[in-house]
Amino acid sequence: MKPARKIALLVAALATLGACSNGTADEGDLGPLGALASVAGDVVASRGSRGDETPAAPPKSPAEAAVEALRVNPAPLIQAGFESLGRTQVMAMTGQNGAMRTYMTPAEEALILRNGMLIGTRGLGHDLSVAEPQTETLIRSGRSGNGKRVMRYFSGDGLERPLQFDCSVGAGPNPGVMVEDCTGHGLSFQNSYMGQGGQIAVSRQWIGPTLGYVTIQTLRP
Amino acid sequence: MRRSQLIRRLLATTLPAALVVGSATSTAVADPMLARNMSSFGMPGGIDTPTAETLPDGTLGGTLSYSDFARRANVTFQAMPGLTTVLRYSRIEGIPDGDDDYISDRSFDLQYQIVDEQGWRPAVAVGLRDFLGTGVYSGEYIVATKNITPTIRASAGLGWGTLAGKNRVIDTQDTGGKPNVDDWFSGGAKPFGSISWQVNDKLSLVAEYSNDNYLASYSDGRTYRQGDTEPDSNINLAAYYRLGRAYEVGVYTIGGETFGAQFSVALNPREAPYPSGLEKAPAPVRPRPSPAADPEGWSGSWSQDPTAQPAIQKALGDALADEGQILESMALSSRRAEVRIRNQRYVNQSEAIGRTARLMTRALPPSVETFVITSTADGIPTSSVTLSRSDVERLENTEAGRIAAASTISDPELRPVGLVRSEDIYPRFRWAIKPYLDLGVFSAADGLTHEVGAEARATYEISPGLELTGALRQRVFGDVFQRGPGIPGQNREYYTPEEYLADPSLETTPEGVPRVRSDTRMYTGNHDPVIPELTLAWYTKPTENVYTRVTAGLLERAYGGVSAEVLWKPAASPFGFGAEINRVRKRDFDQLFSFRDYEVTMGHVSAYYEFAQGFTAQVDVGKYLAGDKGATVSLTREFANGWQIGAYATKTDLSDEEFGEGSFDKGISLSIPLAWATGQPSRERVQTTLRSLSRDGGAQLNVNGRLYDRVRDSQSVKLYQGWGRFWR
Repeated sequence: MKPARKIALLVAALATLGACSNGTADEGDLGPLGALASVAGDVVASRGSRGDETPAAPPKSPAEAAVEALRVNPAPLIQAGFESLGRTQVMAMTGQNGAMRTYMTPAEEALILRNGMLIGTRGLGHDLSVAEPQTETLIRSGRSGNGKRVMRYFSGDGLERPLQFDCSVGAGPNPGVMVEDCTGHGLSFQNSYMGQGGQIAVSRQWIGPTLGYVTIQTLRP
Repeated sequence: MRRSQLIRRLLATTLPAALVVGSATSTAVADPMLARNMSSFGMPGGIDTPTAETLPDGTLGGTLSYSDFARRANVTFQAMPGLTTVLRYSRIEGIPDGDDDYISDRSFDLQYQIVDEQGWRPAVAVGLRDFLGTGVYSGEYIVATKNITPTIRASAGLGWGTLAGKNRVIDTQDTGGKPNVDDWFSGGAKPFGSISWQVNDKLSLVAEYSNDNYLASYSDGRTYRQGDTEPDSNINLAAYYRLGRAYEVGVYTIGGETFGAQFSVALNPREAPYPSGLEKAPAPVRPRPSPAADPEGWSGSWSQDPTAQPAIQKALGDALADEGQILESMALSSRRAEVRIRNQRYVNQSEAIGRTARLMTRALPPSVETFVITSTADGIPTSSVTLSRSDVERLENTEAGRIAAASTISDPELRPVGLVRSEDIYPRFRWAIKPYLDLGVFSAADGLTHEVGAEARATYEISPGLELTGALRQRVFGDVFQRGPGIPGQNREYYTPEEYLADPSLETTPEGVPRVRSDTRMYTGNHDPVIPELTLAWYTKPTENVYTRVTAGLLERAYGGVSAEVLWKPAASPFGFGAEINRVRKRDFDQLFSFRDYEVTMGHVSAYYEFAQGFTAQVDVGKYLAGDKGATVSLTREFANGWQIGAYATKTDLSDEEFGEGSFDKGISLSIPLAWATGQPSRERVQTTLRSLSRDGGAQLNVNGRLYDRVRDSQSVKLYQGWGRFWR
């Protein structure tokens, strides 16, 4: 057993031994010390298992994961690559409200899309609350033009704050790809969308300053 | 709250497009002139001298500075844009006090930035150092700071008192604690200044010209030199190095011969590690099928089926339990559903309400159009938010202000028709065994003290609002020992526990004030199990906006008896009024079931007001534990993320001499939600109160479960302040 793994188990054991109750952590029975210990235990335990040198099975490639997900899950599926998190995951649709669809990972992190256009994320820690792109019709119709894009985020003080960007839309270097260039607040980013019959089949879209870009591929519409 | 007011409040929260990203992306100097370094006095500054810089609004910081002259522990809070406050505990070397060669001193500073830098005009600030009473550090200043180049910043100012090298004479008869306005800006001024060079992102170098000669003079003619030697020059130098975003270490010289070291930490409530939290994504809204697809569901005829509500209530209760909510009860008709929930997971009640609304769209038949979500404080309903289901469907995942405008808040109905309590909620038994750590952070005479042990705590909720609570503690180790109160007239000399127990007359001070808190150390250091709390509490709601509490038993460590409270607080009002009366008796020092002789009936009336921008004020007027009469004023600033930072002061009819050092009781309270630091959803908090040493004047009873904080979490002002998390 690696030392890191040992420490992980020790901390986890401490957390469970150090504070116990008949309720859940929700009920606030553990006290700040107990709650902190249990969080630390979780974090260390998950780090330890990730750093394990002899995993039970070799990790699946994104392509293999996609094939398996298509086989076992009948719901609409996407594959999302979070560039700053360095992971690619299959996400399944868990709800649809009009054109708005919510896709989730098994760990219940969510992407919210409107016909392929990213309008929110949940459960990622630096989530995009909601995006209001006025460029949407330009992108869908394949026309060039300018528009504003408002992206709302939670700031650390618990308020939802808007950031407004000026965007220009135009055809990209590759056929069938629309590119949206946005600037504002000292930031700039570029979203690209590849359409297929009015739907966005593949895209690379900017979530926010911390999470950066996500690449979204439709596996099953 | 009226609709227009509500909208205005929401706009106020969304208007300032302040940078969520600012410091991460813009390396250039940000708009307000923000401090590069903290001074050894915990203010934005050079080394000993201040600058006109400020900190980001709401910043809470600490600076520990150590040199041969003094050790200073400073707590800094940027109370408002421009207003910086410091509470300082110092150990000042070289001044004899009893057998020791140092004094322990507590002091307050204020600094206000009058104007920020703009164009050619420098930022200008005015400040008061050690302004309560005449203290060793008393001085005032006005200072201007200007960026000369992007990396070089210069400050120049005029100082009075210590800042002019003319330390004020300390009145040995003064008990301190009151502003000494007559001294301010008197005694002649001298210029001071500093220059800082930001070498790179991490390192900055500072040189300053300071007049402080580190003397302390007393009205009885004594004058002492702080530390070993007087600074041999007016030039001080420092290097500061930043570690990560929150920490800074520094070394400095005062004159050419004295060296010092410093460590600072600054927490900005706006900069959470995971601002949106790491909680799992909510279940999305499930829109209703068309009436053609579900004619029975739309007709409402399902409501005639007696098995419908129990099945729906069970399913919804299970789903809510996954979200950390308890479905206490539910009233269901064909058009309207009311659910009463207890939020156990989220700091912001709006998040609990938003998740409940979405689960309701998934659980309720299509004919139900009106959703009433009633929040409860441990079973007692405190506010009802009414939403139309169509709005929830239409506005899902839009700007939070839109669903706020479509909602109404009201006082919950007292006895709603058809309300059915969920099965298996009551009686409810909870227990926990957990470690505890008691830190005596800033007791000036003792330094940092601690005690570690185990606590078992159990709560039995017999019915909504009727709770039996007990706790048992066993100390394991620590350096807090039992001892009597200080011997009057002798510094740092205390009665032994045996002496104190042997002579009952010692339980009254020589001035005739009963010792209600100054012997608090008699309750510490028990090596046997103690019972900190054993109570039966009964919470009710006799009318739509009146709440009551009766608590009986061992109320706190030092007192047992009966405590009764009533609070008027409408859900949509920023006002609240309350009254409390307690009949209590002092407990024995072993903290078991026996009592001492002192008994008192005390209590107060209270007024509460919630201002905009998260400020709340409370005024209590009444009689305190020692039988003294007076008032407490508290002002708290609260952020939407749950940070609370407050200050309070109590003045009673005890004379300054009867009260002792400090003249009146004052302190600072801090409370930070754990979720802010970890990102994991939890209502757990880390909190502490920094206050003067335990004194007998203005002492309040520490009974748990006071109504105001239980009730207002889900009421209009606080609910709408945190409304941004509705669609979380």
